Amino acid sequence: MDGQKSYQRYPTIKIRELKHDYAKFELRNTDASVANALRRVMISEVPTIAIDLVEIEVNSSVLNDEFIAHRLGLIPLTSERAMSMRFSRDCDACDGDGQCEFCSVEFHLRAKCINDNTLDVTSKDLYSSDHTVVPVDFSGDVGFDSGEEQRGITIVKLRKGQELRLRAIARKGIGKDHAKWSPAATVTFMYEPEIHINEEMMETLSLEEKTSVVESSPTKVFGINPHTQQVEVVDPEAYTYDDEVLKKVEAMGKPGLVEIYAKEDSFIFTVESTGAVKASQLVINAIDVLKQKLDAVRLSDETVETDDQFGELGAHMRGG
Amino acid sequence: MCYFMYIDSFGFLSLVVTFLTLIVLWFEKPEIYPPQKERIANGIPAELKPFECRQAKISYSGKLMVDVCFKYGDGPGAVVIREKFNFGQIPIMLKSKRCMLSEKPDHHTMVSHKEEPSEMGGYFILNGLERVVRCLVVPKRNYPTSMERSAFRNRREGFTDKAVVIRCVRDDQSAVTLNLYYINNGSARVGFRIRGRENLLPIGLVLKALIDTTDHEIFTSLTSVYNDKYEKAVGCVGTQILGERAKIILNEVRDLKLFTRIQCLEYIGEYFKPFMFGMENDSYSAVAEAVLREFILVHLDNNHDKFNLLIFMVQKLFSFIDQTSIPDNPDSLQTQEVLLPGHLVTIYVKEKLQEWLQKTKRLLQDEAENRKKNFDFGSLTDVKKALDKNPSKQVGQAVENMLKTGRLVTQSTLDLKEKAGMTVMAERLNFLRFLSHFRAVHRGSSLAGLRTTSVRKLLPESWGFVCPVHTPDGSPCGLLNHMTASCRITSYYDSEGHIRDFSKIQKSILSVLVGAGMIPALPKLVKAGPPEVLHVLLEGRVVGVIPNDRVEKAVSHLRKLKLSATSAIPEDLEVGYVPISMMGAFPGLFLFTSPARFVRPVKQKFSPPEEKNNIELIGPFEQVYMEIECPDGGNGGRLSEFPATHEEIHPTGILSVVGNLTPWSDHNQSPRNMYQCQMAKQTMGFSSQGMNCRADQKLYHLQTPQTPIVRTATYEKYRIDDSPLGTNAIVAVLAYSGYDMEDAMVLNKSSVDRGFAHGHIYQTETIDLADEKSKSGNQVFRRSNLDKKSHSFIDSDGLPYVGQRVKPGEPYYSKYNEVTSNAFSNKLKGSEAVTVDYVAVDVKNKKQLQKANIRLRRGRNPIIGDKFSSRHGQKGVCSQLWPDVDMPFSANTGMRPDLIINPHAFPSRMTIAMLLESIAAKGGSLHGKFVDATPFSSSVKKPDGIPEDESDPLINELGSMLTSRGFNHYGTEVLYSGIYGTELTCEIFIGPVYYQRLRHMVSDKFQVRSTGTVDQVTRQPIKGRKRGGGIRFGEMERDSLLAHGAAYLLHDRLHASSDHHIADICSICGSILTTSLIQHQKKTMREIAGLPPGRIPKKVTCVSCKTSKGMETVAMPYVFRYLAAELAAMNIRMTLQLSNGAGA
Repeated sequence: MDGQKSYQRYPTIKIRELKHDYAKFELRNTDASVANALRRVMISEVPTIAIDLVEIEVNSSVLNDEFIAHRLGLIPLTSERAMSMRFSRDCDACDGDGQCEFCSVEFHLRAKCINDNTLDVTSKDLYSSDHTVVPVDFSGDVGFDSGEEQRGITIVKLRKGQELRLRAIARKGIGKDHAKWSPAATVTFMYEPEIHINEEMMETLSLEEKTSVVESSPTKVFGINPHTQQVEVVDPEAYTYDDEVLKKVEAMGKPGLVEIYAKEDSFIFTVESTGAVKASQLVINAIDVLKQKLDAVRLSDETVETDDQFGELGAHMRGG
Repeated sequence: MCYFMYIDSFGFLSLVVTFLTLIVLWFEKPEIYPPQKERIANGIPAELKPFECRQAKISYSGKLMVDVCFKYGDGPGAVVIREKFNFGQIPIMLKSKRCMLSEKPDHHTMVSHKEEPSEMGGYFILNGLERVVRCLVVPKRNYPTSMERSAFRNRREGFTDKAVVIRCVRDDQSAVTLNLYYINNGSARVGFRIRGRENLLPIGLVLKALIDTTDHEIFTSLTSVYNDKYEKAVGCVGTQILGERAKIILNEVRDLKLFTRIQCLEYIGEYFKPFMFGMENDSYSAVAEAVLREFILVHLDNNHDKFNLLIFMVQKLFSFIDQTSIPDNPDSLQTQEVLLPGHLVTIYVKEKLQEWLQKTKRLLQDEAENRKKNFDFGSLTDVKKALDKNPSKQVGQAVENMLKTGRLVTQSTLDLKEKAGMTVMAERLNFLRFLSHFRAVHRGSSLAGLRTTSVRKLLPESWGFVCPVHTPDGSPCGLLNHMTASCRITSYYDSEGHIRDFSKIQKSILSVLVGAGMIPALPKLVKAGPPEVLHVLLEGRVVGVIPNDRVEKAVSHLRKLKLSATSAIPEDLEVGYVPISMMGAFPGLFLFTSPARFVRPVKQKFSPPEEKNNIELIGPFEQVYMEIECPDGGNGGRLSEFPATHEEIHPTGILSVVGNLTPWSDHNQSPRNMYQCQMAKQTMGFSSQGMNCRADQKLYHLQTPQTPIVRTATYEKYRIDDSPLGTNAIVAVLAYSGYDMEDAMVLNKSSVDRGFAHGHIYQTETIDLADEKSKSGNQVFRRSNLDKKSHSFIDSDGLPYVGQRVKPGEPYYSKYNEVTSNAFSNKLKGSEAVTVDYVAVDVKNKKQLQKANIRLRRGRNPIIGDKFSSRHGQKGVCSQLWPDVDMPFSANTGMRPDLIINPHAFPSRMTIAMLLESIAAKGGSLHGKFVDATPFSSSVKKPDGIPEDESDPLINELGSMLTSRGFNHYGTEVLYSGIYGTELTCEIFIGPVYYQRLRHMVSDKFQVRSTGTVDQVTRQPIKGRKRGGGIRFGEMERDSLLAHGAAYLLHDRLHASSDHHIADICSICGSILTTSLIQHQKKTMREIAGLPPGRIPKKVTCVSCKTSKGMETVAMPYVFRYLAAELAAMNIRMTLQLSNGAGA
């Protein structure tokens, strides 16, 4: 190894915007495989907690049991604890029945409509045995009409005399197994574009032609400076790689007027969380999970015994 | 809405009177009672509700009570005995007059009766099943149709293939068809059927028998359409040889030596006396009168009218022969109408009542003639006792059986070609399928076997009445059609729901016609025909002639009066004006007011502007001769000489309800729209709002349906949102995983996890312990107290807990035999777990539960092999549930598609509308609004007069919706590979498309088998999915293995995995049947000694050779042994020659 040139790179992250359930950051000095791995892990391998088992005592609502159980499963629960929790299948404390405090959280729901008004049973009616794991509350978020009273996510509507009583067990899981465990609403990244305008050539264009170049892109990438009347790049990241401008320039008979390249080593990530995990935490957790997976790859070379240590993760890495 | 004609036609019952000698029997005051329960509450029988019938699997029917009157003897002194007879239970159509739902249009009351809020009725409930009577296409009533049919030649010697046929319908809807054949000698024969046998009479004989007339009058009447003046002029239908033909006709009668009317009647009466039941004691002329009344032009009462119509028919026939007019097409809608359910039931009831009367008469006569008993007609008990052999309740039973099986059991054929398949189950798979049952018109199953395709052709005459798109492909193509959304069928009731007075209507039409210049047929003054004057026929009656120059004015006057609310002219009057033409159709003015005709609305252009209503109802007969403009963007090639008098309301008027729901169907290749019409009807959706009150055998249900973003105007008009049938899926068109080849599609697993296209099947099992009553005693629902294990599945009443999950092999209900005190618990069959959704019990028998419905719920979430389709005939099978992270994603929005289809689905199928839908739905969802996709809307002129397509093409309009939100104009996006994170080389077409989940699912169809049950006789694996059988490895499969040279595999499939058998064969006699096993005694010895059972040497001997010397074992298929045994049974011996090694 010594004496050879090292190709090791040191990826950097620069955070642009950070909200509770939204994050935008730059990832530089790495390539698409790493960026995509991060995206994939965020969507499908960062653990969260979601309702997995429902025992229905009474259900006289119009929706059937499976339907209600499915709806309950999709309710996002605050999952800060998820990283430290155990998967029920690996839990030693409860002999695999998945109902102990280390691997599960119990919920109760009791609702009965007693008057003529329709009763909305929502996620707020779920009572958790653990105050850290509760249905996500969106009431403080922007985008929600704060004037109205936020009643959470509707599970079912009840008419007079109808009743719903159930016990639900929430467990740790990952999005690969079922979408309800995915902490990410959307994770996407784009290559950072590099846009060059040939100023000399641009000078030869009339104002009308300049406008048509600017308007050829459906997103607002270019603009005309009102003072200098020059075409400027307003927002390079609005560019969707749709080549509309390049086609336009070609059609005008001025190839090379605008040139756009994608930077192969820098990415702009957008992360939207379901609220189960904070967006920032989601990224950190994803990196942790990614590291664990890499550890498993490294260790699997050495001994077979270590596989047991990493449980299913190791087995998975071997392609099992 | 569209069901009215169904309900309207039902509820009309005629009186039937039959005269017998000495005794007179007749019916009075028929009355159908509303459906009632057997149980009587507070002195009055309780109302039976339709939903109770569905749940309890009984029929929704009401009692038919009729007063039967007996009169014995003649004169005023005769006593009339009147007695109410119960004629059994007549099934009641839902929402008809006698149905409890008929007066309750309010949604809330419908819901309180546990019906659909939008229940429209029109069907019967028989044994809990909903059945509809199919609308059958029959020849148009009371219109003489000239036609050419080679079958006519075979009637008798000398007959030609040409005839004029008229289907005459009485007021009580019973029909008799009359044929007028042309024969080679220049004369004509009248043909009609009595109980299936055709009788032929010379036309002159019938004409003379009808009225007192002279030869001269017949001659002048027949030749009236010929005038020297108009030789070969336009519209001239008569020719010079008409006079010769008239002479032949008259000579025929003279040759029979018949001169007066009485002579003719006696001649006819003598001939028909054996065929007319109940007239054995009548005079010949009375019989002849009856024949003329019952079989000749039965829609007319007056013999003069019959005479005039026959003359008209002869003229039409001769004109057809002389080629001055062309034949009518019996396959075109112009000469067709519909047999309505109510009319069918009416004529069937009439037939059955008549049969009952005949039988009653015979029974009473027998009693009276049997002198041994002293039978007294005056005594009601005696009469009733005699009638025990002829129970009146059979009538109701016969009607119910007819509706249950769809088979007509009749001797007279009811003038129908069809005998079976009159009713079908009204499946509620989804709303569109249900609706289509009521909009379908069938040509009759007898035509399905025909080799000619002419009956299946889509003819221009059916424009606007029958949908060109909505017909199945395959054997019923073109025979099973669907009415357009705007098409209606005329009925006995007017728009306010009152019964029409047809005689009053006809009188007022006549007065209008006379005012417009018509010369009435009586008294006979004018002897002329086309082109000078035109015949006027009102409901198949020649009412007069109208001068050719005044007819057009009269027609437009009549049309104006149709719209006016104050005139007595009905709005659905058909003014069939066939103008004079050179060798065109036979001219005349044909007016129709009857029920069972097709009508559709069009805009009248010449109506005065002060008249608010300018919508005229037109029929297919008149449509052909009308000038109707269709907004198609141009003038449709119309010449200025023929200005349009009418205008289509909207071009979509030619499509059926289902056909109208395809967005932009005018941009699709037409067969694709046909496929969509079929697939829409097999989509899982919200089949019923009142599902909790229903007990259908199988119901498909989509858990989370959506409303389409792109929809047509029809969607809202028919409120499909009440029963939606699909989901908006984000569809990417690309070849991505290789799993989307050949119409397969890749679903996003996370989308499915989140509930995409989740569904259920509800299956109801009805258990009636009274049905399976065994000899050994009464059975009740009860669980066994001994079997504690079943108590977690079965409640104390013997029925399952609601919400209970039941796995295959687990019990879910238990019955108890009270005599043998055995409990038997029924176990779940099949291979998948179910949930008990609902249990209903019949409380009629309060002490013991005997009847219960158990509804089971089976989950049907999408899995590999399930079928989906867009609304453009693009169906596909799910081939993979692909993980979300592996799906391609958009860098800007982060969107991943819900499903991926292959681009090869488009070039050959040309479903452009699907691409448009994708773009439009994307734009619509970005702007938060629905997009209208009504077909042909681009060619409809906007209020400002500019057709839309000149303003802006559709794609630009849709594209600008996308560009304004920063998306590509053509709906494409740059996507990144979900696996590598790199940009895909092409821009990908992606957008929301409304996808339907079809009912064909692998869970209901897959068939696997390793080892299992075998056939007892052949020892080969059995067939049948339900019994765990295999799939036949047939000859073609065998051939392909042979061709591959896969001999070992072939041997494995056909022998080792099938009926492999090792047989003992005696090589001395060569028989496999004579070998016998010798039992050893040692086995028991060893067991007593406690030794392990050792391998006993098998000892086989040949019974016939009496030695075991030549014993050999040979592997063979077991059927071979069976074959040997079968042959032995026929005294054929099979010998096998054994050899060792090859070639010997």
